Amino acid sequence: MTLSAQNTVINAQDIFAKKQEQEWIINAKAGDRQAFNHLYQENIGKVYALCFRMLSSRDQAEDVAQEVFVQVWLKLENFRGDAKFSTWLHAVATNTALTHMRKQKNWLQKVFSIEEQPQAEPAGNEIQDLSDLDKLILRLPEKARVVFVLFAVEGYRHEEIATMLNMAVGSSKSHYHRARNLLKDWLEAKESLNDE
Amino acid sequence: MNKLKAEQNLQAQIDGLSHDIKPERDLWAGIEHAIEHNSQQHVANEIKPKRVNIAPFAWAASIVVAVLFTWNINSNKDMQIAQVSAVEVLQQQYSQEKNSMLVSFGEPDLSQLPADIQKQFNELQSARTSLEAALADDPNNKDLLNLLKWTQKQELNLLEQLFSPKWQTI
Repeated sequence: MTLSAQNTVINAQDIFAKKQEQEWIINAKAGDRQAFNHLYQENIGKVYALCFRMLSSRDQAEDVAQEVFVQVWLKLENFRGDAKFSTWLHAVATNTALTHMRKQKNWLQKVFSIEEQPQAEPAGNEIQDLSDLDKLILRLPEKARVVFVLFAVEGYRHEEIATMLNMAVGSSKSHYHRARNLLKDWLEAKESLNDE
Repeated sequence: MNKLKAEQNLQAQIDGLSHDIKPERDLWAGIEHAIEHNSQQHVANEIKPKRVNIAPFAWAASIVVAVLFTWNINSNKDMQIAQVSAVEVLQQQYSQEKNSMLVSFGEPDLSQLPADIQKQFNELQSARTSLEAALADDPNNKDLLNLLKWTQKQELNLLEQLFSPKWQTI
């Protein structure tokens, strides 16, 4: 197959997928759960990945991912199609995860704004099948981890992150650099161990 | 040099991160259950019969009770006699107005009201009684007097709303 023919096939697949998604959205808005299940199947991986990296716990990520899809079902009427569905879903997922984290914070952390230290390596069942970097992301201190995930993985800008986390833009940048430095150190240490 | 290598290594790993991680269990059953639960609640709310809107009265009673709980009662004995009479005047006016209203509505039996309306009545009456007790200790308190007047008015409004004859359209 020539390159141009290959591109035509890829474009056709994209268009078909988009049309299929639009149909599921319309049907789900009308109360069709089967259509909503298709939307769930298509997007659960992305939603769960975001939740897991932000919350660094499989159990919490599962709970929040479920909550995200319940919220999406309830708010689907508000989705007008101005933005891509995945973008809208992504915003709902980010907000739901952040709200969950705020609720989880204990009073001591709220009162004294305690900055957490790097966390211990999660238990084996938490990290199996994860990439090396994902395993290290889970060990980052909470704020540094959330900023890193939102900026480096999910593509938000520091201005957006600062608004979401109610912090200064400079603080967002500072947490991001802290996260990068920790990750670089840990990756280097891991490589040295492997070399030995 | 090492720093540059570490930087490149990190960036390569970030670029290689998967945007999809599958949860270990299927979450759909829980989602469907929650959706079902929400739908049932929604339907239940829709088929609920429309009743007299008693929320404002509940609010009124709650506010009065809240005010009373936080009130710093500071009695002033010198002014007591004059103010007690003000409370009495308010009580008399209220009783007269309530009686004439009930007579004009054919003297309905208030004990036969639906339970939720009865509850609102009781709450308003209890708020009124608490105010009267607070006024006995602090009779020259204008705010308490105003609250008493307002609570009495809420009771009368509720009676009017329940029993006043309405024109039927054919």
